[in-house]
Amino acid sequence: MIRVLIVELRKLNRSLAAALAIAAPGLIAVFTFFNMLRGKTPQPWDMWMVSAAGIWAFFMLPMSVTALTALIAHMEHGPRTWDHLRALPLPRWTIYAAKILSVFLVLALMSVGVFAFTWAAVKLAVVIKPELAPTGVFDASAYLTALGRMYLAATLVVVIQLWISLRWSSFVPGLVVGIGGTFFAVVATAAKVGVFLPWQMPVNMLATEGWRMQTALGLGFGGGLVLLALMLWHLSRREVL
Amino acid sequence: MLAIETRDLRRRFGPTLAVDGVSLSVPRGCVYGFMGRNGAGKTTTLKMLLGLVRPDAGTIRIAGRDALADRLGAARCMGALLEAHGFYAHLSGRENLDLSRSLLGLKRTELDRVLDIVGLTSDAGRRVGGYSLGMRQRLGIARALLGSPQVLILDEPTNGLDPDGIADMREFLRTLPARANATVLLSSHLLGEVEQVADRVGILHQGRLVLQDDLATLRAGQAPQLRLGCDAPDRARSLILGLGLSPDPDSDRITLAPGADVRETARALNCALVEAGIGVHELSPQARSLEAIYRDITALPSPLQQDAA
Repeated sequence: MIRVLIVELRKLNRSLAAALAIAAPGLIAVFTFFNMLRGKTPQPWDMWMVSAAGIWAFFMLPMSVTALTALIAHMEHGPRTWDHLRALPLPRWTIYAAKILSVFLVLALMSVGVFAFTWAAVKLAVVIKPELAPTGVFDASAYLTALGRMYLAATLVVVIQLWISLRWSSFVPGLVVGIGGTFFAVVATAAKVGVFLPWQMPVNMLATEGWRMQTALGLGFGGGLVLLALMLWHLSRREVL
Repeated sequence: MLAIETRDLRRRFGPTLAVDGVSLSVPRGCVYGFMGRNGAGKTTTLKMLLGLVRPDAGTIRIAGRDALADRLGAARCMGALLEAHGFYAHLSGRENLDLSRSLLGLKRTELDRVLDIVGLTSDAGRRVGGYSLGMRQRLGIARALLGSPQVLILDEPTNGLDPDGIADMREFLRTLPARANATVLLSSHLLGEVEQVADRVGILHQGRLVLQDDLATLRAGQAPQLRLGCDAPDRARSLILGLGLSPDPDSDRITLAPGADVRETARALNCALVEAGIGVHELSPQARSLEAIYRDITALPSPLQQDAA
């Protein structure tokens, strides 16, 4: 299994998926940087870090998952690529398990990237405008914990998106579901039922009501694991004709 | 012992019976030419051998292993080049091979060995996206050779190759069983190429294996032919019919009865033509090509049609 996972990660070398893994958190940092330079008065660390995490969870995470899963799956959707992989003397479930583990690993790096790049963007802005140096305490563990919760709550949406992207060779079904899910997550932000929408689960990690956070985390992570088992069962048994 | 043995393989896709009772027997160390028209069921059969498609009925043994009960064991004995290559265009040839090598748990030295065999060592560092079709084909064969499998399944290995590449590939395939101690199952539409490298052939037609034999036996069992070049073809034709021979209406060939003495028939025909005042400028015995045999067989009413009748 480790061998298959390492091969999956090596496939990302110089790939579009790897570029996305850097670009998505980078864009949040760029936004934070320019937003900070627009300011007239210093703001607390909390504002910059939590707003970056908010943008990540609200929009960039679901969209990145959509793109990342489509790009990673698409590498295998070339003519007969699945045939070559599935004809190897490997248990088929390991191929799909390695695929999703590689997505989770990239997503973990992206989450760390959101934290690190945003911190770096704030520091860089302060170099240009020292008077905007953020106030308050930089609570790294709190920010990382929030990002970690978002990551776990995103399990369900990652499995849904990867399953669709692996099942259909076209980009279209994955993109339609991902963009549609993100759209509904945005328009249903205030709705109580929104917490049950997989694409909204990560952003609920910033909710002030405890029940929202617990429900989204439980459903996102637990539901994701259940769906993951189903996905592995289905894809490894399926014939790719 | 057989390298590949199937018994009554059957697979249906909806209303279509794609493979109907196919029993392949491929002896070890041979090159087996697997032929058939598009849609004859070749790809489905290859996919069943590789464990990619489950048969509805039948058995498959690869190098003595039951491929349906022990897919991993059978897969360890096989290497495959499928019609499209399935490479990652953003990685180099060597990186692509190295991914497969890692998955198979082989040593790194294996890469140099297979790259050397297919003559790609100097281009191995280039991105596959920039490879020509022929280079991709050779890289595909290199991948199939990783781990020195006992059975190689090659689907249209000469696709996209230039004439030099085809000649190289022909030589490569001809010597492969001896060099790699492997059995080669070669699926191809290029019957002339198959004829030059195969020891044994199987012809699939509308899902059924309508012929399977050693090429030498097949040729020996065919009616011999003479090729005639003369001045007055129409007069010659009447005369040939008068001698009890069968001139081919669409070519300059005359088919003799199986087992007929070709030399004696040619001598008698030449005498008769010359005595009739017809100038003869060519009269030569012809071996029936695999293509002619194939055309004869696939032009027959299919077994399904016969059953229906």
